[in-house]
Amino acid sequence: MKVSLNWLKDYINLDDVSVEKITDKLTIAGLEVDDVVDGSKIYENFVIGYVKEKDKHPNADKLSLCLVTDGTDDYKVVCGAPNVEAGQKVVFAKVGAVIPKGEFKITKAKIRGEESVGMICAEDELGLSDDHSGIMVLDDSYNVGDNFADAMKLNDVIIDVDLTPNRADAMSHIGVARDLAAIMNKQFKYPEIKPDEAETTSAQLASVEIENSVNCPRYVGKVVTGITVKESPEWLKNKLIAIGLRPINNVVDVTNFVMHEIGQPLHAFDLDKLADKKIIVKDAGSDTKFVTLDSKERTLNPADLMICDGKKQVAIAGVMGGENSEVTNDSKNILIESAYFNPSAVRKTAKLLGLSTDASYRFERGVDYNKTKWAAKRAAQLIAELAEGTAAKGEIDAYPAPIENNKVMLRFPRVDKILGYKIEKALMLDILKRLEFEIVNETESDLELLVPSTRPDVLREVDVIEEIARIHGYDNIPVVEKITVSLDEKIDQSKFTNDVRELLISLGFNEIITNSLLNTETAQKFSNPIKVLNPSSVEMAFTRPSLLPGMLNTISKNIKVKETDLQLFEIGHVFSKNSESEIKSFDDFSETEHLLIAITGNAEDKQWYRDNRKSDIYDLEGFANSIFKKLFSNNVVVKSVKQNNDPIFEYSLVKKVKKSIVASGGKIKSDFLNGFEIKQDVFIFDFNLSLMNEYISGRNKFTELLKYPKVIRDFAFVLDKNIEVDSVEKSIVKGSSKLLKNIKLFDIFEGESLGEGKKSLAFQLEYFDYTRTLKEEEVDKDFWSAIETVKKTFNAQLRG
Amino acid sequence: MLEKINQTVKNFESDISNGVNKDKLEEIRVKYLGRKGLFTRLFEEFKVLPKDEKPKVGKHLNEQRTKCQNKFDELISEYDQVSDSDDFIDLTLPGRKKELGTKHILTQTLEEIKNVFKGLGFSVYEGPELESDYNNFEMLNFPADHPARDMQDTFFINNEFVLRTHTSPVQVRLMQNKKPPLRAIMPGKVYRNEAISAKSYCLFHQVEGLFVDTDVTFAELKGTLVYFAKQFYGNDVKYRFRPSFFPFTEPSAEVDIWWQPKGKEGKWLEILGCGMVDPNVLENVGIDSEKYTGYAFGMGVERIAMLKYGINDIRLFFDNDKRFLEQF
Repeated sequence: MKVSLNWLKDYINLDDVSVEKITDKLTIAGLEVDDVVDGSKIYENFVIGYVKEKDKHPNADKLSLCLVTDGTDDYKVVCGAPNVEAGQKVVFAKVGAVIPKGEFKITKAKIRGEESVGMICAEDELGLSDDHSGIMVLDDSYNVGDNFADAMKLNDVIIDVDLTPNRADAMSHIGVARDLAAIMNKQFKYPEIKPDEAETTSAQLASVEIENSVNCPRYVGKVVTGITVKESPEWLKNKLIAIGLRPINNVVDVTNFVMHEIGQPLHAFDLDKLADKKIIVKDAGSDTKFVTLDSKERTLNPADLMICDGKKQVAIAGVMGGENSEVTNDSKNILIESAYFNPSAVRKTAKLLGLSTDASYRFERGVDYNKTKWAAKRAAQLIAELAEGTAAKGEIDAYPAPIENNKVMLRFPRVDKILGYKIEKALMLDILKRLEFEIVNETESDLELLVPSTRPDVLREVDVIEEIARIHGYDNIPVVEKITVSLDEKIDQSKFTNDVRELLISLGFNEIITNSLLNTETAQKFSNPIKVLNPSSVEMAFTRPSLLPGMLNTISKNIKVKETDLQLFEIGHVFSKNSESEIKSFDDFSETEHLLIAITGNAEDKQWYRDNRKSDIYDLEGFANSIFKKLFSNNVVVKSVKQNNDPIFEYSLVKKVKKSIVASGGKIKSDFLNGFEIKQDVFIFDFNLSLMNEYISGRNKFTELLKYPKVIRDFAFVLDKNIEVDSVEKSIVKGSSKLLKNIKLFDIFEGESLGEGKKSLAFQLEYFDYTRTLKEEEVDKDFWSAIETVKKTFNAQLRG
Repeated sequence: MLEKINQTVKNFESDISNGVNKDKLEEIRVKYLGRKGLFTRLFEEFKVLPKDEKPKVGKHLNEQRTKCQNKFDELISEYDQVSDSDDFIDLTLPGRKKELGTKHILTQTLEEIKNVFKGLGFSVYEGPELESDYNNFEMLNFPADHPARDMQDTFFINNEFVLRTHTSPVQVRLMQNKKPPLRAIMPGKVYRNEAISAKSYCLFHQVEGLFVDTDVTFAELKGTLVYFAKQFYGNDVKYRFRPSFFPFTEPSAEVDIWWQPKGKEGKWLEILGCGMVDPNVLENVGIDSEKYTGYAFGMGVERIAMLKYGINDIRLFFDNDKRFLEQF
């Protein structure tokens, strides 16, 4: 919300206070200042200039050479505007000025060979309008040499306040002034309202009837007659322009002015266009087409509250007026509406219509139901004055059930309990008075308070405590010196994922964090993804059912910047519906934590000591095994099972604990990668951490170290190429006793010497017993038994 | 015998002074000082000497052997310091690559935040990102049809479910499941339906804090957050508390720290929001708001990391360019 400092000064004396202090105080009071624009600073080095001479530019047809004076010195200026003439008073930007449009700085320049010292400005360049038809020509009343901002009254400071939704009281200049006065402990005053002079009353000229008093508790109408609709005077236009509003005519401008002064939205109807000169406030019902004053046809809901006359709808209550009753240049008599509408009703209507206005913004937050008459009077008197009309006597006040101000009990000990520091009682009372709270009753231990109608957000004791702390100043909260720590056991639910991260860092992986929202096409490659109802773009229409797309996007982007060797991981939540049907409860979808690791490009790049080597499935499985080894204790058995016909993987395997699949991984199919514009092999392993977490059974217990020597035996077999190592190992185990503790495959060899379709596998076997030293003969017996089994099973030959 | 010892020492001295190299030195060591060397033989001869000669000869033999050993050691260490010209080692060659991974800078920042609060006895809890509207809004005192709902642009799944807009629903879950005293932080991803730009992204990470007990006060909240600011930005950090509004806290505040980049104008930057848990929220989860009070706070991890590391575009966090990841 834009606040003009000059305007604020109508209600509070701020002459001795710096802009910095004011903005600081506003922020400290909870009216956070987002931005400050100081007009006098923007128009530094802009003066009223006088064009003494004008000649044609010798080298350019469309340019003129001007001699401009600021009253003291003359400047040569090249000007491109068609309307520049000698004898004009103009806005002259001197060297050093920064043109608001485009923010460029004026320097000495040569334009087509002619020197130019300064610039004659057009309205758009000054940021005043969009007009670039020619330079801005001023009338004779301006003094040459005067600062432009001072001369045009643009030397205002505009403060942009970021209003929180609870501060309905501060949605106006008076509201801001009130808060500023409270926090600075200054006086502030409302503008004076004169008594009406006319004989005829508003009630004689129009009538108001409320059918739905729940959504419209109060409706005040006041009539002004015999007006002339025309342009507003400079002071009013300047006030509106300052806060970013476009002046329209004296009637509309006054209603806007009063809204920004007191916070009460007003609407002016052309009284002569209201059938039966009557206002009826009721629901839209079956009448659902309505043209608002921006000439757009709106579709209403039956429950939307409408302002109607004797025959038709004339405004959407609290949101926008209708074209059919709009004040035009020919209007003579008007009815000013100053109402209090139910905040949530206005919000519902505005939301459904997708139409948010300055009025609906205020009604939604709750306007002051006790200022409706004041605002109507203030507007009527200003309009009467500026439009040479007559304000009818009094107002029509339809107020079937007057709203009572909130009553709150404040217990002094409770203030201490919540805040934890002491505020003197006298100071509390003073603060409450500054905020216009009425003290109904005061005892030793508590206060009975009447909350001002400006504060619909103050309903409870704790709300009052906040008000006291706010005006007392949060800076005055003492910082405690000690904080107690409880002895209870602390829980860290993030420990498991932290451990996983540590492990992956040590394995050389970089962690990534990707967007958890995916485009439709990608998401639908997985089963039952969850759709977002209101995505901001089609690129983010689904929650991710897998970490894979985010990973592949990341890989793709990195390859594009020539980072082709990657080891990446992500830990994050993935989402999917449990069936096709709509989500109605937490049982209808699953959200699980996953870890995805991916490797691509070189596992080892070329260096002075090695050749490059591409990442492959064995690198991947090696990483997966390390992860299981580190996370699970020895008593959790992880089984590896080969998978077939997976839609994503060319070849893959899954890791199982008991019967559940805790992870799966493999080589991604190249046509899947094509979708991400990736042309190199990618290997991934996807771990369901939520599931794995269930199998975490604490740490390994200590195992006694082996006291007796190990016996090592090697052998190599030649067998058919397509026999899997796993089956050979199983056969070795089958042929051995329990003395065999470990098998290591240490060589694979294929070559002509072995014959076609053959390979050689070399194993190292490790034998030991925890309780004794093994005898050579018993190991030999075991060893030969294993050899025989393998030979028989695979028709294998023992090598040399 | 003494003569023989002196002669051996003389021979030793002449041997080591005659242009030796490393191999020659080893020969000399074996010849004189080795297990089967001349000194060993002398010791064997010494063993069979008459008793009365033993002390004198023994002393001399020991002294001379030590002398020779020291001389030898001195020489060999000189040799060790000079690199062998036949075996050139280029120490300017880069060492063999040992790859280390990196945690994402947001994870690192989050861990720093966690560590500060864990030190104060806070537990760490997590919760789902796909939340019920009930937990995300209603339980936290956001009435339906209230402008407060506009404070957080929401991604809806349907009328009942949303992508959580803050980590505060984890508070609700915690308070529903455990009795006070409760002291915990709750980190996680949150979502806002905003256009993606350098300043905003459709998701970010938040850390929620909650402390509910019989005498938790606003002053203690300020103390706790001052402690955090000092651990994070140093003892000289300049901070301010200013009033704000959140439906689930009353009174509410925001904390700014003074940010002074070198050579630029300083300014206040908001780092977190906080306040006393609104009595409505306590009552909603069945905690007696007369007996118990609590505070809550929430901060954005991205914002804190951007400040701390001078990162000027929030999208960099989610682009995961390796050149970015490996900087931290």
